[in-house]
Amino acid sequence: MLAYTLNRLLTLIPTLLAASVLIFLFVHLIPGDPASILLGDAATPEDVAELTRALGLDAPLWRQYLLWLGNVLRGDLGTSVFFREPVLAVIGDGAETSLLLAGMTMFWIVLFGVPVGIAAAMRHGSWVDQLASGGAMLFASVPTFWLGLYLILIFAVGLGWFPSSGFPSLTDEGGVLNLRYLVLPSLTLAAPNAALIIRLIRASMLDVAREDHVRTARAKGLHPTRVAIRHIFRNALIAVTAAFGFTFAALVSEAVVTETVFSLPGIGRLVVQSILRRDYPVIQGVILIVVVFYMIVNLLVDLAYARLDPRVSLK
Amino acid sequence: MHPGTYLKLLVAAGAFAATAGIAHAGGTLRYATIGEPPSLDQHVVTSDLATTIAHHVFEGLYTFDASNSPIGLLATGETVSDDGTNIAITLRKGVKFHNGQDMTPADVVASLKRWGAFGARGGLLFGNVESVAATGDHEVTLRLSRPFGPWKNLMAFINGGPAIYPASVAEGAGKEPIAPQDYIGTGPYRFSEWQPNRHVELVRFDDYASPSGAADGYGGTRVAEFDTLRFIPVPDVGTRVSGLKAGDYDYAESIPGDLYAGLEADPSVVTILNGGPIFGLVFMNSKDGPLRENFALRRAIQTALDKVPALQVAIGPEGLWRANGSFLPEGNVWHTDAGTGSFSMGDADKARMMAEDAGYAGEPVKFMVSTNYPFHYDTAIVYTRQLAQAGFNIDLQVYDWATLIEKRAQPDQWDLFFTHHGFVPDPILISVMNDSYPGWWATAEKAGLKGRFTASADPDERRAIWAEIQALIYEQVPTMKTGDIYTYNIASPALRGLGEATLIWPHFWNVSK
Repeated sequence: MLAYTLNRLLTLIPTLLAASVLIFLFVHLIPGDPASILLGDAATPEDVAELTRALGLDAPLWRQYLLWLGNVLRGDLGTSVFFREPVLAVIGDGAETSLLLAGMTMFWIVLFGVPVGIAAAMRHGSWVDQLASGGAMLFASVPTFWLGLYLILIFAVGLGWFPSSGFPSLTDEGGVLNLRYLVLPSLTLAAPNAALIIRLIRASMLDVAREDHVRTARAKGLHPTRVAIRHIFRNALIAVTAAFGFTFAALVSEAVVTETVFSLPGIGRLVVQSILRRDYPVIQGVILIVVVFYMIVNLLVDLAYARLDPRVSLK
Repeated sequence: MHPGTYLKLLVAAGAFAATAGIAHAGGTLRYATIGEPPSLDQHVVTSDLATTIAHHVFEGLYTFDASNSPIGLLATGETVSDDGTNIAITLRKGVKFHNGQDMTPADVVASLKRWGAFGARGGLLFGNVESVAATGDHEVTLRLSRPFGPWKNLMAFINGGPAIYPASVAEGAGKEPIAPQDYIGTGPYRFSEWQPNRHVELVRFDDYASPSGAADGYGGTRVAEFDTLRFIPVPDVGTRVSGLKAGDYDYAESIPGDLYAGLEADPSVVTILNGGPIFGLVFMNSKDGPLRENFALRRAIQTALDKVPALQVAIGPEGLWRANGSFLPEGNVWHTDAGTGSFSMGDADKARMMAEDAGYAGEPVKFMVSTNYPFHYDTAIVYTRQLAQAGFNIDLQVYDWATLIEKRAQPDQWDLFFTHHGFVPDPILISVMNDSYPGWWATAEKAGLKGRFTASADPDERRAIWAEIQALIYEQVPTMKTGDIYTYNIASPALRGLGEATLIWPHFWNVSK
C-alpha cells in the first residue's frame, strides 16, 4: 500500500503542472484587470497602464507564468494584489472557516443522513421509507440561500440562539465557542447533502439486499439487524464512501452561496470575490490548492475502498 | 449629605472628565459593509467604501462643513496672493501621526507631491502647480502657473484626495497603493488590522489633536467615542438587515429601495438617508461608431428617454430618487436648470424623426451595462425598450464590471455604456469633464468653457460658467444623466449622534452607543 500511495503521489506532479498552465491561462485570459478595479471609475487609461506596470502585469504572459511557477515550487504563491498579504496567509484564513464548516456539515450528515438512510432501506415501502424519501426530496430541492435566510430569521433574529452571520477565528476572542457561528450555516449546507446521502444509502442497500450472499445470510437465520449492518450496509458503504469524499471536497470549495448568506470568510467566497476583483495571485493560489485537495481526497477515497473491499487491490 | 454637595461633586466630576479628556463611551461599532475596499490609500483609490473607512484614519488640510463649503482640518487658514497664484497654507500646531511623530510641513509637501504625481484627482490641480514647498515651521506654499479656482474644493475632497501621510511613507510611494503597514494618518482612529474577508479594524488614537469649534459636517471638533470601529464585509443584503435586527451589527450600508417602507416603519431600525445623491450616467462614444460627432443623433437618443419609469423600476420609493437634470442637486450652490429642458422628454415619435434627420438608418448601437450594480441593469432594460420604440436598434451587451471597464477603454467596442457617479463638491470632479475619461468628450466648445471655468476664482463667475457647460452637455450629449438617487443606510436605534443624514460617507467620530 505504501508503494501504491507513493506512486499515486508521483502521478500528481504532471497533473498539477498541466493544471497550473490551465489555471494561469484561464485567469489571465478573462477580460478585465486588477489595476482598473483598484483605481476605480475615475481612473484614466493612463493611470491604469501605470499601475499595471507597477504590478508587473505588463510582462509577456509566458514570463509571468514562469515567474509564478518558480515561486510556487519554492512554496511562495505570491502576494494578493488587494490585501497586500501573502496568498498562502489569505487562503489559510479562508481554509480555517471552510474546513470547520465542512467538518461540522459532515457531522450533521452522518448524524442524520446515515441512520435515516438505513431505516428507509430496512423498512422499504413502509411509512418510514415514504417519510424519509419525501423529506429527502424536499430538502434536496430547497435552495440553500432560502433555507439560510429562514434559519437566520428564526434562530438569530427571532429566538436569538445563534449569531446571524460572520465567523471569528478560533484563535480570536471566544475561542472554541466561536463554533456556534457555524451551526446555522452547517445545518443549511447539511440539508441538501444529507438528503442525497439518505437516497444513496437507501438505493445502495436495496441493491445489495437483492444479492445472493444476503439471501444466504438470511437463510442461515441471522438476526435481521445483523444482516442489515454486517452484510448489506457494509457492502453498500463502498458507493457511499466515494460520495462522502467528494461531498466533503465540494463543501470546502463550493459553499459560496451559504458563505455569502452567512457572511463567512471561507474559500468559496474568497475565490468569487477574487475573480470579481481580478486578484490573479489569489485566484491562482486557491484553484491550485483546491486541485491538490481534490487529488488528495481522491487518493484517500481509493485507499478507503481497499480497506472496505478486499477484492480491490492496490498496485 | 446636603443636596448641594451632590451637585458640587457632580460638577467637579464632570469638569475633571472634561479636562482629562478621557470620557469616552467606549465599545465597538460594528459596521456591515457591502464588500471590501480595494485599499485605504486615499491618494489613488476613489472607492466610496474605502473613504468610509479611511476618513477616520487619514485627514487632509481641508474638509467640508454641512453646507459643503471647504473648511480647515489640518490647516487653520491660508493667504492667497491677489493674482491667485501664490497660496500660503498655515498648518495646525500639535498634530501627531499615529506613529507618534509630529506632523511637519515636510510631511505635507511629500504627501501633496505624491498625490499630485500619482493621485486619482491630483493631476487636475497639479497640472497648474509650479512648486510646493515648506515656507515656515507651520506653513506650506503652493505656487500656481495660473489661477485655479477649484483648488480648495479639491484639497478638501478626501476621496482620491490629498490625505496627509508621514513623509517617510509618501516619499517612497508611487502609483501602487500603499500597504496596510503604512496606513499612518492623523485621524481620530488608527489602523489596527485587516483580516481578509473578515474585517477592517480601527482603534481610537489617544493622542489625537482635534480641530476646534462646534462639529459642522466633517469639520469642527472630532471626538472618538468608540474604542474600536470594525468594518465587516456582509455581501448579502438580507443578512445585513437581519444581522442588524439581531443585534450583530450597529450599522449597515447600501440597503435597496424595496425594503425602505418596511424599515422606515420598523422601530428596531433607524434609516439614514445619504444627503449627497449618486447619479447614473450613460456615456456616448465620441471617438468611434455612429455617435461620433453626430450630436443630432445623440439628441435623438436623449429625446427618446423618459427617465421617470426607469427610476421607478430601478430604485423604487419616490423618496429615494429625483428626476433632476441638474448635475448637482437642488439646494447645492452648483444647482442650475440650464439645458435641463431636454433631460427627460420621452417623445418616441420626435426622437424617430430626429434620428432620421441625423442620418440614422437602423445600424446597431452597442450599449454596455454591468450586472454588478442592479440599478444599472434595471435602468438599461427600460432605456433599451424606450429606444426600441423610437426605432433604435440597441444591442444590449451585459458584462461583469471588470470586463466592462476593460472594454470601455477600447473605442471600437461600444457606443453607449452605463456607469454611476458619486456626489462631488465641485463640477470639475465630474468624470465627463475629464477629456481622457472613456467617451473622450473633448470638443473645442468644451475646452473653451473649461479653461474659463478653472481659471476663475470668483464663485459667482464660476457658477455662471458651469451653467453654460451643463447647457453644452445637453446639446452635445457626451453623457446622459439618469436622475438623482438617494442611497440609504440603517442603524441601531442605540447609536447616538448620527444625525438624520450623512453628507457623503458616514462618520463615527462624535457617535456613541
